Amino acid sequence: MLGFLRKPKKRICVIGLDGVPYSLLRVLAADGTMPAMAELCAQGHLQPMKVTLPEISAVSWTSFMTGAGPGTHGIFGFIDLKPGSKETRFPSFRDVQVPTLWDRLGQKSKKSVVINQPSTYPARPIQGVLVSGFVALDLRKAVFPARLLPDLKRLNYETDIDTQRAREDHDYLIQSLHSTLEGQRSLVDLLWDREEWDYFQVVTTGTDRVQHYLWNAIADTTHPYHTVVRQYYRAVDRFIAEIVERYRQKAGREQGLTGLFLLSDHGFTAIKREFNLNAWLRQEGYQRLEQATEPTLQNLSPDSRAFALDPSRIYFNRKDRFRDGCVETAEVGNLTEEMSSQLLALRNEGEPVVREVFRCADIYSGPCVPHGPDLIVLTYSGYDTKGNLVKNDLFTETDLQGMHTWDDAFFWAGESVDGDLMITDLATRFERFLS
Amino acid sequence: MMTQGFTLWFTGLSGSGKTTLSREMEGVLLERGMKVELLDGDVVRTNLSKGLGFSKGDRDTNILRIGFVCNLLTRNDVVAIAAAISPYEEIRQKNRQLIGRYVEVYCKCPLDILEERDVKGLYKKARLGEIKNFTGVSDPYEEPSNPEVIVETDKETVEQCVAKITRTLELLGYIPVIGNGAEYSAEEEEEIKRRLKALGYI
Repeated sequence: MLGFLRKPKKRICVIGLDGVPYSLLRVLAADGTMPAMAELCAQGHLQPMKVTLPEISAVSWTSFMTGAGPGTHGIFGFIDLKPGSKETRFPSFRDVQVPTLWDRLGQKSKKSVVINQPSTYPARPIQGVLVSGFVALDLRKAVFPARLLPDLKRLNYETDIDTQRAREDHDYLIQSLHSTLEGQRSLVDLLWDREEWDYFQVVTTGTDRVQHYLWNAIADTTHPYHTVVRQYYRAVDRFIAEIVERYRQKAGREQGLTGLFLLSDHGFTAIKREFNLNAWLRQEGYQRLEQATEPTLQNLSPDSRAFALDPSRIYFNRKDRFRDGCVETAEVGNLTEEMSSQLLALRNEGEPVVREVFRCADIYSGPCVPHGPDLIVLTYSGYDTKGNLVKNDLFTETDLQGMHTWDDAFFWAGESVDGDLMITDLATRFERFLS
Repeated sequence: MMTQGFTLWFTGLSGSGKTTLSREMEGVLLERGMKVELLDGDVVRTNLSKGLGFSKGDRDTNILRIGFVCNLLTRNDVVAIAAAISPYEEIRQKNRQLIGRYVEVYCKCPLDILEERDVKGLYKKARLGEIKNFTGVSDPYEEPSNPEVIVETDKETVEQCVAKITRTLELLGYIPVIGNGAEYSAEEEEEIKRRLKALGYI
């Protein structure tokens, strides 16, 4: 007797490679460093993707996981202002104002396993498993459900490398990149079949770290770390290959690789100079630091009309926002125009620095827009915008080698996506796939 | 502030710390302005479940009765705390489904340590056959498959366990956050700063 043929369960698997640019991935796939990626490119579609501004992981990953921009999810940077104040704070997962993709899938009784997702600390309950990524401090608060904690300890799982030590000691960087990748591999191995899931996601952040500290070593064959950096990308490629193979087996022949997706949260490029926004504001007369005080935002002179927060956010010292503000609401329009034209005219060694200046209200929408900055500065490739208050030079050197870009993230899928792809488009696409 | 009720259900072997932690949590929740009712398994057996024994059927009836009362309390915006061995997963799941706003705390402690502690002398009696159907010795205990909190009472202090449970309730949005509402301590903020600086993010 013929039984009923059960349709295989639809599943999604997402691999996140933090900070890997589309342009670099194409090179590494083509030159043999990442053969599994090359195979995926042949079988599916690798395409560039834009991300929300500012192009940093805290914002980008939150935009990815909520399918919304900062005006809706409320995360504008790794650092933000306390309401009505110039005191700063570090937003956490609790500050995300809208449900994540996994929350929404959970409402439809779909289970998720999410490993090393940046900007989800402290972990909160989801239908399934969540292991927070950067800036997870304490593993006990980075894991839901708590029953997984002994497993993670047993696997010597680490949420991140010691970034300070890695910046100074590149041998340590390379060694710890491999050990954290190994931890992620072991966790995938443990949870893949043990947990029930409809959506499985793992993010590796080592790619971002190596690009910050050793970007030049990727292309420069004479660089002392060239070989070991390439070996790391090979290890990442093997990691991808293992997951792809697992997925093929789990999803079954009918589904193929249609539910497999890869992405990064921003691109990367080489740093030429850091561009210090607060130094520029002071030079142009928009900001003054009180003499003989510690240079903090609270110690700005009351007649300061603007200040900047990392990486590229300008806030007007508005009367309707800050107790000691001095900018009238009616002045905002003129101030925006004046400041934008000055920034666009800025040159360093004859070359333009600022590509565009966006008004927050023009690029964001949603209830959190009033909590965001007034302007976002987008620079040309190589100028890394900073909100450092102490530095007085407009352009400074740095030992960091790589900086983020907003229009060179990547997305890989079995099928191509028409038109410009934005990181906020993905959550809805995944939900639709599973519905 | 008006708060919604929920059930905080402690499960675990005899002597694993359910009563101690449930009483501690009663205090924490009262301090946060919640209405709280504690249903201790040992006490319930002297009234609500008087006459029931320790067969599988009687045990299930006892746990379902406690679950029934917890549900009534929960839907009337009271926090119901239950502390009962509740050895069977199926029955705990029934209560979870009935109540909805249900947080399970598994008080985990190895049997050999419990036998060593044996504050009430029950394990010794069970081993001697003086107590029949004793959970963990002559009756099964099914570990929870998906508890919201696991406290390892042989490794964690009472304070650590209470902090962990409280934190989970905060994260679930079941209890109000006290203090300045800041997510991180000053020490943690310094560590975040250090990491972000090293990446050039601040």
